[in-house]
Amino acid sequence: MSRLFAMIRAIGFVTYKEWAAFRTHMLASLLVGPVLFLVQVFIWQAMFVGKETINGLTFQQMLTYFGVVTLIHYITFDFADWNLQMLVRSGKFVTFALRPLPHWLFALAQKIGHRSLALGVEVLPVMLLFIFLFGVDLMPASPGWAAISILLSFLMNFFINYCVGLTAFWLVRAEGIRRVFLLLKDISAGVFLPLSFFPEVLQKILFFLPFQFITYLPTRVYIGDYELAGVSLTMAEAVGLQAAAVAVTAGLALWLYHLAMKRFTGVGV
Amino acid sequence: MKGIWLCWGAVFRVKLAEMMAYRSHFALSMLLLIAGDLAVPLVTLLVYSSGASFPGWSLYEALLVQAVFVLAKGIAFPFFFGMVGTTLSQVREGTFDLLLLKPRPVMLMSMLNGFDPDDFGRLLSGGVLFGYALSGIAAPGAGDWLRFMLLFLASISILFAMSLFLSGLLFRWVGSSRVFDIFDAVTSFGMYPGTIYSKTLSNMLTYVLPIGLIAFVPAAALLGREGWGALWALASAAGIVGVSMLYWNAMLKNYSSAGG
Repeated sequence: MSRLFAMIRAIGFVTYKEWAAFRTHMLASLLVGPVLFLVQVFIWQAMFVGKETINGLTFQQMLTYFGVVTLIHYITFDFADWNLQMLVRSGKFVTFALRPLPHWLFALAQKIGHRSLALGVEVLPVMLLFIFLFGVDLMPASPGWAAISILLSFLMNFFINYCVGLTAFWLVRAEGIRRVFLLLKDISAGVFLPLSFFPEVLQKILFFLPFQFITYLPTRVYIGDYELAGVSLTMAEAVGLQAAAVAVTAGLALWLYHLAMKRFTGVGV
Repeated sequence: MKGIWLCWGAVFRVKLAEMMAYRSHFALSMLLLIAGDLAVPLVTLLVYSSGASFPGWSLYEALLVQAVFVLAKGIAFPFFFGMVGTTLSQVREGTFDLLLLKPRPVMLMSMLNGFDPDDFGRLLSGGVLFGYALSGIAAPGAGDWLRFMLLFLASISILFAMSLFLSGLLFRWVGSSRVFDIFDAVTSFGMYPGTIYSKTLSNMLTYVLPIGLIAFVPAAALLGREGWGALWALASAAGIVGVSMLYWNAMLKNYSSAGG
């Protein structure tokens, strides 16, 4: 077990160093994040004229929602799908099939390294800008539950994206599917708008889909109040539900990975 | 001029043949672009359904701004915005040199190389949204249509200038795909009625960084909210296109290739 952790740490560290050489790539978030947030500030400022709340959220809560969504996006950002599809399509996956470590674990270790760098380069600076420039209240209602929920969101995003990446073993060119899926994922996760704005029927469907566990649920846990499709949960219940959903998705991803490995053929494999 | 059209024709045929080799990918990409461009209007629709609104703007009027934005992208993206993506990959791989060797202007070759039929999906989604938005407002007069069409030219010109600025930047900021995020972030100001911004920002978005010209000003003209005076935007757009072309050519001189 300690050998496994040492491998994960080594892969993560190499990825950290590799991406540290391309810091400016991440530093662009210091412009992109606040600019997009500024647009949200103006939109909601206009929307809230003469209104105390919209869909049960005050102006400050709305800003907090989008601020937390942005931070969670930076913490859990993932491109395992793109990476896996590229490896399969280019044939480079064969080198991973020969390694004594399943590729999904290698990809997870890479993500840990990549996002560790992002904590200092993207998350913290953007968070400070939100707090001091926009005056957004980013204090979590229950820091412990919020941290667990974001960690689960990190895993959820990885496993969902990895499942999308695995489609490359069955499709010749899966880029189109990947992009369609990611867009639907963002909409269904509450990136563009809190899910409570959706019609009741859609909310009920979204409640049972895994996407809300990536953004909507952790954001609401961070704010300290979870409600979707008329279902209100305490923080413990919400995080428990999220943990169960992550376990199911991880199981699905590992099963698909097993099927993909049986299907995969390459020179010398 | 005839040579340019022949080039366009040849590129169009090759790209279409390439797309047909991956038909499902082509269909899905089109679907994605349609769905993607309708995401913001969907959000607007949901927000208006909840009883909130942009002060002074009905749902259809707000959607019209977003429809004009999508329509402008539907023209800009297939024809010239693709040069940003091709510059990004070709400069990184070192294959941009091939464009320098061809007997046509480098800027034109870069644009032709980035031609992408997938992006016509945006034109479709923009058209549908535009029709829907028009169905909910009073029919514009002939003068409004004329002003709109002229200002729409300015809108396309601004997107053309932006593609040159971003593409030019990639000669120095090699391989950074974040230029697309920067584009999305900056232009997101243009997807909403300009009246929601503060006076200072609104002036900035009209006169300094004319994002407002992409959709808000043409849409306002169609709604009869802008008079003939708004046509100054054509001169402004022409000026920006000129500056962007100078910038792109200056940045091209910085391209050192693998040979130094």
